[in-house]
Amino acid sequence: MSKAAKSRHSRHVPIHAILRRSTAFGFLLLLFLGSMDWFSWFKGGTTATRLFGAVPFTDPLAALEAWLAGGVTQPLLWLGAGILVLLAFVLGPVFCGWICPLGLLLDLNEFLQRKIRHLFRRKKGKGLPLLSPPDGFRLPLLLFVLAFSFMVGFPLFQTISPINLLAWGLVFGAWGGWILLGFLIVLEWVLPRLWCRSLCPLGGLYSLLGRFAPFRVCVSTSKAGKTLCGLCTTNCPMGIQVMENFTTKGFASIQDPRCTRCGACIDVCPKTVLTLGFCSSGRGAPSFSDPRSNCPESTLENPDSCLSGGAHGT
Amino acid sequence: MNLSRRSFLAGCGLLLGGGTGFLTSQLAGSVPVALRPPGAKRGKAFLGACIRCGQCVEACPYDSLELFGIGGGLAAGTPFVEARKTPCYLCTHEDELKCISACPSGALEPVEKRSEVRMGTAVIDRKTCFAYNGVTCRVCWRVCPFQGTALVYDKRMRPTIDPKACVGCGICEEACITEESSIVVRPADANGGEG
Repeated sequence: MSKAAKSRHSRHVPIHAILRRSTAFGFLLLLFLGSMDWFSWFKGGTTATRLFGAVPFTDPLAALEAWLAGGVTQPLLWLGAGILVLLAFVLGPVFCGWICPLGLLLDLNEFLQRKIRHLFRRKKGKGLPLLSPPDGFRLPLLLFVLAFSFMVGFPLFQTISPINLLAWGLVFGAWGGWILLGFLIVLEWVLPRLWCRSLCPLGGLYSLLGRFAPFRVCVSTSKAGKTLCGLCTTNCPMGIQVMENFTTKGFASIQDPRCTRCGACIDVCPKTVLTLGFCSSGRGAPSFSDPRSNCPESTLENPDSCLSGGAHGT
Repeated sequence: MNLSRRSFLAGCGLLLGGGTGFLTSQLAGSVPVALRPPGAKRGKAFLGACIRCGQCVEACPYDSLELFGIGGGLAAGTPFVEARKTPCYLCTHEDELKCISACPSGALEPVEKRSEVRMGTAVIDRKTCFAYNGVTCRVCWRVCPFQGTALVYDKRMRPTIDPKACVGCGICEEACITEESSIVVRPADANGGEG
């Protein structure tokens, strides 16, 4: 990274972090206000809410579970789920990145964890270990949750969901889930974003629904530099190899279904290569000479093994 | 550093297996009993249909409804009434039962008349009830919204409950003047899931 880029990066305003934390906090605030008698605009909890007493929003997973477990077919409930499903079709899993109250808590937890780790930087191999939570478990867990609801007639996830626990505590004064939430928070200091990446079936469902959403992180082919600094990938909370599809296949947008459109990669990018918006998912010729293009396919997962000196911080 | 998939899978499997086993065994036994809002489905059907959003709690004009936290076990996130604290006033000053109209999932089913609500049945403890121990007291009778049908005074001025007419709102339980209420609502689910 050049000197100019470095100084530019250091005074970069993390606009997406500020925005997404504001919207998530705003949602939580609305839920909290909804528990007041005088506030009638927004009522409900994390599973189902009503805007202005008329427009329903329903967590699609909660609706599915209520249908499988209790045979619930209320039109209003399904209308609410339909609205969020349509939104996910267009915007992808933005709920995870921008609305989820638990996401907000874990986002701030990860922020704190990174800061403190930075303060107490030690030699490699010392201090608190940092593990990468495994991917690919959310969809099996989603299937399990749905199967359980159907077989046992009990909405398993809605009862134990830490997202709900948080809302029950903050909005309805039903405390008691704090031990579980505290356990998760502590665990995520070793396994950052364990919940979001490996466990959350709701995130899995939203990822599935938003698989082909046109709203995504777009790559500006003209602004992309000549070397891969890798800051986007190291800062991605979901552990996505952000620029990989661009450098290897020339896709001008992030294709990974796990992407929550949180914008963490955009905030850290020193060259404003990445933006959030509607962009074609099409591919073009990579206008970018990736140092890894000479690497054999087998080393793509871990490019450092093939690049001399590593791709970071050059 | 990567957490090995196998150890993660093993941990997940252990938790899931244990959790599922525990939950299923709990569900196979008796379903948690609580005084539910008016119109609530019975037993397991209610647990299945309730979406745990808390809109009924927010809609109640008297703050009679509360939400179970995780301490409620299988009932976590579902609404209940603690009658001794704040009973269900059956929305007497409203045009409708607010919690039922707020429920998005139909776990609280519409009730035609307030007298058709069946939250439970009041039960009198004759050992502690003043009226059964020689002191005239009409507190429960005065407050009962269905006095004369649900709560009747017998020839000796003692209260008796007609289980067919009692809606289980708990207003009497709240009003009872003895230290521990001598008249307590037995939730509908306590009768083996039957009304």
